[in-house]
Amino acid sequence: MAESTVLTVSDLTVTYRGRGRTVAAVKDVTLSIAAGRCLGLVGESGSGKSTIGAAVQGIIPADGSAHATGGISIAGRDLVPITDQAWSQVRGRDVTSVFQDPMRSLDPTMTIGRMLNRYTGSAEASVAALERVQIRRAGDVLKKYPHQLSGGMRQRVMIALALAPQPLLLVADEPTTALDVSVQAEVLSVLRESIEGAGCAVLFVTHDLGVARHMCDEIAVMKDGVVVETGSAEQVIGEPADDYTQRLMASRITLATDRARPVGAPEPAVVASMQDMLDDLGRPDDAVASAWAAGELLWNRFTGPTAAVGAASGLSDVRLVEHVTRPSLTVNEVDKTYTARVRGRKVGNHVLKNVSFEIGYREAVALVGESGSGKSTLLRIAAGIETPDSGSVDSQGVAGEGTQVIFQDAGASLTPWRTVEELLRERIEHTTTGKGLSRAEMRAMALRTLELVGLDESVLGARPTQLSGGQQQRVAIARAVVVPPSVLLCDEPTSALDVSVACSVLNLINLLRHSLGISVMFVTHDLAAARLIADRVLVMTGGEIVETVGAADLAQDITTDYGRRLVDAVLA
Amino acid sequence: MTVLVFISKRLGSLLVVLFFLTLLVFTLGKVADSDPVRTYVGVNASAESVEAAREELGLDNPIPVQFGSFVVGAVQGDFGISLSSKRPIADELATRLPATLELAGWALALTVVIGVSLASLYSRPGRLGAFMRFVFFSAASAPSFLIAMLSVLVFYKWLGGALPAAGRSSYGPYDDATGFYVLDGMLHGSPTYTWDAIQHLLLPAFAAAVGSGVALARVLADGIASSLRSPWARTARALGEREGTVLRRHALRNASSPALSLLAVQAGFMVSSLVVVEQVFSWNGLGSYLSGAIGVGDFPAIAAVCLILGAVYVILNTLVDVALAAVDPRVRLS
Repeated sequence: MAESTVLTVSDLTVTYRGRGRTVAAVKDVTLSIAAGRCLGLVGESGSGKSTIGAAVQGIIPADGSAHATGGISIAGRDLVPITDQAWSQVRGRDVTSVFQDPMRSLDPTMTIGRMLNRYTGSAEASVAALERVQIRRAGDVLKKYPHQLSGGMRQRVMIALALAPQPLLLVADEPTTALDVSVQAEVLSVLRESIEGAGCAVLFVTHDLGVARHMCDEIAVMKDGVVVETGSAEQVIGEPADDYTQRLMASRITLATDRARPVGAPEPAVVASMQDMLDDLGRPDDAVASAWAAGELLWNRFTGPTAAVGAASGLSDVRLVEHVTRPSLTVNEVDKTYTARVRGRKVGNHVLKNVSFEIGYREAVALVGESGSGKSTLLRIAAGIETPDSGSVDSQGVAGEGTQVIFQDAGASLTPWRTVEELLRERIEHTTTGKGLSRAEMRAMALRTLELVGLDESVLGARPTQLSGGQQQRVAIARAVVVPPSVLLCDEPTSALDVSVACSVLNLINLLRHSLGISVMFVTHDLAAARLIADRVLVMTGGEIVETVGAADLAQDITTDYGRRLVDAVLA
Repeated sequence: MTVLVFISKRLGSLLVVLFFLTLLVFTLGKVADSDPVRTYVGVNASAESVEAAREELGLDNPIPVQFGSFVVGAVQGDFGISLSSKRPIADELATRLPATLELAGWALALTVVIGVSLASLYSRPGRLGAFMRFVFFSAASAPSFLIAMLSVLVFYKWLGGALPAAGRSSYGPYDDATGFYVLDGMLHGSPTYTWDAIQHLLLPAFAAAVGSGVALARVLADGIASSLRSPWARTARALGEREGTVLRRHALRNASSPALSLLAVQAGFMVSSLVVVEQVFSWNGLGSYLSGAIGVGDFPAIAAVCLILGAVYVILNTLVDVALAAVDPRVRLS
């Protein structure tokens, strides 16, 4: 058995020095992987899993800020202390890797062939390498540039590149995280088969326990630089011994997640500030808040109000009637075609075909589909960022001002040189509610909203880059709801986040929608997230809504072939 | 194929640009407060000779007719007669255009040399790098005429005429010449003549190139730095490429598209900075011709130079766009 051990990591500690502080990203980690085996390294952002992935390739930052002690040996060759000479013998030969971002991990100025031929030696060998990752018409693909391929194809090319030198160890760092759920399933199976064919050891770094279970023989769970649990995949997933692993499992969103149970109840401070806000909005607070907390406040135009709304919220009958007859968002026969010139000829891409739907007051509707289904275009049209060729969008709801969008990449959606307070104030100033408010009043409003989204005063003066990904998304949400819109448009707001953070963001959106009376349009490729947040799920493909289904029993109720495929793609 | 279509489209738009440029320059000549006939015949000429000259220059015709004949002439390469020298402008241009193009070409080449070498110094932290950065930044923040005069001072006066500081050649032009002296020297198989022409080019080209070279270096250095941080550079490293290979094979090419865009803009400015540089180095090019013509209100000459510079600018930009598309496949020529 000892002969076949490819990677041995013993007591590895990696520290980063910066701004006078020393942070240990990895502490005393010991691992080993045998040939033909796949070890999953699972943890959230900052757990140190990617640092290990980088360390075993010898590509931790070379600027002297990182320092590694302990042992790494690959096929019996000791590699710590990390010297360039030692690694240059190993990297690209014995160890290669597949990275997360297939969009940018391939040099945009090179054809696939030019990249691949360098490592395979000839065009024929490159074709064979591409065929091994199940790329058809490999000869054509060799002539293409990365931007001409889909995400799934690019990631297959990455796998072919990584396996071309016939490595002993493959490091796969979140290889499918950036892909659509259904593409993810395909790429994972390609990766699995290729690895089995190549017989190499695999270090599979991921934040997703579902993916890890699907791919790995063994799993090591990491938290704060330490391995908290190691074992066979079945054991770690099936009977997690460690607290943290259990919590990580519990925060996973699957098609079986209990929708009625909000994952993690809102903190008392959040409830309190929510009540403040309800005061400001002139609504009776306690009743609404407690009704929400009790899960009784499930009201929408399609399912009808529960008794709780009429009694507890004290909204007048008149307004109730108004709610019933007036949706917050009406999308009416929207049609959109993008035209591009390809070799002098106009080519139309019919992205939205006569799409109509409505979102009721306080209702959450999810649009689910893959890349290219038209869902994001629809969101941009609803947001007024783009205009439809024909058809109309009406977002004059009963309450709230217009629409607001929160994006997948919250960091990029926040102006980097503005402080959080300035970002929120900017939104307030642009609304009718905000007209004539003093700085102090706006500051108070911003503060209340930050508390509502689970942040506090300390972030007011911070700039986006000083915040974590989860905090950035909360700030983006705070900006969107500081003056409540009638519809909150969410463009994959959770797919770039760690599972536990994703859960809390979903809960937050849910909380805001009930407490502020906001309707939600939630665009995602993840059926499980859609099911959790939405009342209804609209399945989109090819620019059309092919199915509308209630969220609760989604997995059973979906009938179309396409919808079933999406259900199957969600890893159990 | 697309490249040819693109170039021909650009040449089409060149015609449109030139037409409006002609209109603009012509109008400026008409509204300017100077009488071209007086410039032509001199202040002391009699009334009869003024009239005769007016007829000779075609200035008694209605303005649209004047414009028409100007355009027709320009299309045939006839820009009329210089009001000050009384020689056909086309003859002047025939010797001065190559002079300016030669200088501009060398200045652009030096821009690239300065830009690339300085960009590589940027990434090297150290005394030499810091010193070179200081020198070049000082140089870049100085106007080009100051650089020109300083370089004359250093290389001509202090270093005892290490490099010539005036004119294009110690020997004068060949009879059957292209007007590009370095090329002429090579065509006639004369290393002495060629080397002499190159020496004459160095100082003015350097003076014109310093500013744009430093600007280019900044863009290039930034581009290389961000390329080296990019995920695909990481991929290359993970596949075992050494740092030098990552730089050569991946980073340089990706960093060169913003640098090329900048170079196109710089090329346009280059021509205008040559107006000054040519003066300092007594370079008989379009720039010194233009400044002379502006001084005496010689509008036909001004118009001709403007048209040619405009054409050069559009052509340069077209070439850069083609180069951009060649470097970065994501750029579509449209």
